[in-house]
Amino acid sequence: MWLWFAKLGSPKWFYELSSKWLPWLVGAMAILLSVGVIWGLLFLPPDYQQGYSSRILIVHVAVAGTSLAFFPLMAVAGTITLVWRMKLADMVAKNAAPLGAWFSFITLATGSIWGSVSWGTWWEWTDSRLVSMLFQFFLLLGVISLRSALEDSDKAAKACALLSIVGCINVVIIKYSVEWWNTLHQPSSPVSLSPDSPNGPEFWIATGIMILAVYLFLAVSLILATRNEILVRERQAQWVQDLVRQE
Amino acid sequence: MRPHRKKRLAIIAFIALSMSAAAGLTMFALSQNINMFYSPTQIANGEVANDLHFRIGGMVKAGSVEKSQDSLKVNFVTTDFVNDVPIQYEGILPDLFREGQGVVAEGALSAQGIFVATKVLAKHDENYMSPEVKAAMEAAGASPQNHSGLSEQ
Repeated sequence: MWLWFAKLGSPKWFYELSSKWLPWLVGAMAILLSVGVIWGLLFLPPDYQQGYSSRILIVHVAVAGTSLAFFPLMAVAGTITLVWRMKLADMVAKNAAPLGAWFSFITLATGSIWGSVSWGTWWEWTDSRLVSMLFQFFLLLGVISLRSALEDSDKAAKACALLSIVGCINVVIIKYSVEWWNTLHQPSSPVSLSPDSPNGPEFWIATGIMILAVYLFLAVSLILATRNEILVRERQAQWVQDLVRQE
Repeated sequence: MRPHRKKRLAIIAFIALSMSAAAGLTMFALSQNINMFYSPTQIANGEVANDLHFRIGGMVKAGSVEKSQDSLKVNFVTTDFVNDVPIQYEGILPDLFREGQGVVAEGALSAQGIFVATKVLAKHDENYMSPEVKAAMEAAGASPQNHSGLSEQ
């Protein structure tokens, strides 16, 4: 197990392995994303009260749920950076932050559009779910600026790792905000297996496909960005030079 | 694991634990202030100072909505099925404002015990269903409105 762990830390090994995985991941993502988007936005039944505006939630729920994965991911990578000094972990963490900021931004934007139609307001500062999500967006911008503010890249990696670990607390707050406090935002919907009850399969199958698709999108984007990062940081290495000569 | 790595891991665990404890205590201290609205029962129990501008959340009581014919004035009653608070509002209501559905209103209590609202927002619960399912459920005599999405206080 330790050998496998040490191997995983080798950028060259990751680059070669991800070359094999990428076509499969991209293929699965393309299929699920097109099924999810076409089904969710064109064929999903309308909600009996909201009408067709409920379709926005297919995108919102999938992106919002996935956006909560960034801080735990960056915290795990950060811990590996701090404890084992693995170069690859920091490359992943570095590229996760801007992606996470985009996911958070899309969550806020789609939620705001839906809210303007359903609630009658674009934004409520008193709603803890809304504000904690905005906080995650700013925290990710903070991680990005922290990295570019510190010139020593080793110091920057350590500082970002620590901020990412602490930032996980906010993920817990976002998740449970709708249960701990009174909010305008609705709690997460329980899945119902019966087609004759609220939240039946006609809604959650499409949502589930979309969630899987967005997670795959996250994986593909992060792998592609990390591969770029590897080539840049390892440009002096023999195997990268060989790779460039081949192409 | 080598000793220096164990030590680093312990430091990280300590930082994470102490930050979580700090955040947890802050949340606990702020718990009342983070709530977006008060329920009619909290108001009946006198948990809100009378002259305060605040938000109230509850369900629109079925059959209580009275709209004025010649203005945007509307009167309705909000309830948490234990206590009721009458609300007076003048303005445009959100699309999802319905009898039997959740609302959050912002305003203040008048001397007569009527909540004069300056803003009314519709609250959507966590239940989504198509018009067909809704019709089938009504035919079967079940009402989904018991799952209000409003926490009982």
